[in-house]
Amino acid sequence: MAFDVTDIALSILKIAIVLSAVLSVTPIWVWVERRGSALIQDRLGPNRVGPFGLIQPLADALKFLLKEDIIPTQAHKWLYTLAPAFGLLPALTTIAVVPWGRSFVIPQMQIAGYTLFAGGRLFEPIVADLNVGILVIFALASLSVYGVTIAGWSSSNKYSMFGAIRASAQMISYELSLALAAVSALLAAGSLRLTDVVWMQTGYFVLFDTIKIPAWNIFSPAMWLSAIIFTVSGFAETNRLPFDFAEADAELVAGYHTEYSSMKFALFFMAEYMAMGTMAAVIVTLFLGGWDIPYYNEPASFLGFVLSALAFVAKVTVMLFVFVWVRWTIPRLKYDILMRLGWKVFLPLAVLNIVLVALFIGKGWI
Amino acid sequence: MFEYLIFFVFAAIAIIFALVVVLHRNAVVGALSLVVSFFSLAVMYVLLDAPFLAALQVIVYAGAIMVLFLFVIMLLNLQHVQEANTRPVQKFLGYTSAAAFLITIVYYILKYAAFTAPASPFRADAHQIGVSLFEAYVFPFEMVSILLLAAIVGAMLLSNRSIDTSESISTEVMEQPDGESGAEVTR
Repeated sequence: MAFDVTDIALSILKIAIVLSAVLSVTPIWVWVERRGSALIQDRLGPNRVGPFGLIQPLADALKFLLKEDIIPTQAHKWLYTLAPAFGLLPALTTIAVVPWGRSFVIPQMQIAGYTLFAGGRLFEPIVADLNVGILVIFALASLSVYGVTIAGWSSSNKYSMFGAIRASAQMISYELSLALAAVSALLAAGSLRLTDVVWMQTGYFVLFDTIKIPAWNIFSPAMWLSAIIFTVSGFAETNRLPFDFAEADAELVAGYHTEYSSMKFALFFMAEYMAMGTMAAVIVTLFLGGWDIPYYNEPASFLGFVLSALAFVAKVTVMLFVFVWVRWTIPRLKYDILMRLGWKVFLPLAVLNIVLVALFIGKGWI
Repeated sequence: MFEYLIFFVFAAIAIIFALVVVLHRNAVVGALSLVVSFFSLAVMYVLLDAPFLAALQVIVYAGAIMVLFLFVIMLLNLQHVQEANTRPVQKFLGYTSAAAFLITIVYYILKYAAFTAPASPFRADAHQIGVSLFEAYVFPFEMVSILLLAAIVGAMLLSNRSIDTSESISTEVMEQPDGESGAEVTR
């Protein structure tokens, strides 16, 4: 395969855009979370640093940097230091297979005497358009357990240990319903490639020959249930309330990262928010139509790309706000209820839903 | 050229971490090294144009199975494993069988493996694997699933069995009032 300099430049550009987007989720969403929780609980929230407390995340980051970095004497030093990196890696890389806009053809250009993009070049707004896209997401998600588990074990603290064990049990359990709920959307699209899943959702469902509904999977009679199962399992997979058993402040001090301080703790904190952002992006891609704008036919041009990318960001923002909203509305479940919900409710329902979708496909309704 | 570089880097990582698994004394470090080794194996699959297999390798081995291993190791809290009382005979037998296995594998690889690209590149994508699983290999596929089911049922029976073997297998073990709780029974 011949490499073209413009190919490499485009790839680097895409990676830069996606990485900066993922990295900026944390400071922005820390602020939204704190102000949002204050709104929900009828408080003021942080409002001292900058207008509306907007600079607060910066102040937090500075504080993290200046804190003493403590490694407990009983800790396994290597693993204790590596654990935050293990946690951060899946959170940073998963987003690579999520499409974030409509593809368009870059026209041929003449810049400083050079001909760029000879004959036009298709620009896919996705870092890696793999034909096993969704499997890569699950593979990296299954690796994200290690960060939590190693952190808990290597701290040599019983609260950390409990947090780690709870987290691994919880994540293994909910990975199953997460994957099975995604299967129904993939079955309908007939592909593991996430760009195909989005393209499949760009049409309309027509009710009574008059009412047009966007053909997003969540509006499909066969798939709304998997959308709910996937979203709730996503909450469990990202360790967010009402499923934050790995931390469970009231029971386990701070769970798996009890012993962590300074930037090591900050990395766990960032990983949590990035995982949340990625999960929101995946939910939007699988069930909320990805970058599709309802009732508007995006042109295959730069304008269409920008509009669809903005639509994607808007949808992810709404989904992320749901994460915050749920966290400050629903209290933590009991652990046995969490397990029962995962294994005895979501798993059978997800399997049933796959059968339903298969039936729809067999009948030719999808 | 670039592919060779990736191959040798990840082959080296796979071998080094496989050695760490065998040689390191700490069981948790061993389990994690195995995860890294499995991950580099997945990179090999990608180089062989089989991304589907690579993803499954990470999901099943590195993700699911090794998490369970790690879980068990952490629960047992194997921090200071004592050197087991091994007899010289056992050591001798172990080393000879390992050497014999290695020699056999190397011999057959050198004898039969073709170090050239196959004539028709077979793209092992999800569709092709699904078709061959449900057409050519449907019988072995079903047999394996029955075997796995039997293993699951067996594991559940074993973990529910009481220590007193005269008592038949019962689920009432958990509800015995005199402190013989299920957790103690399954030690």
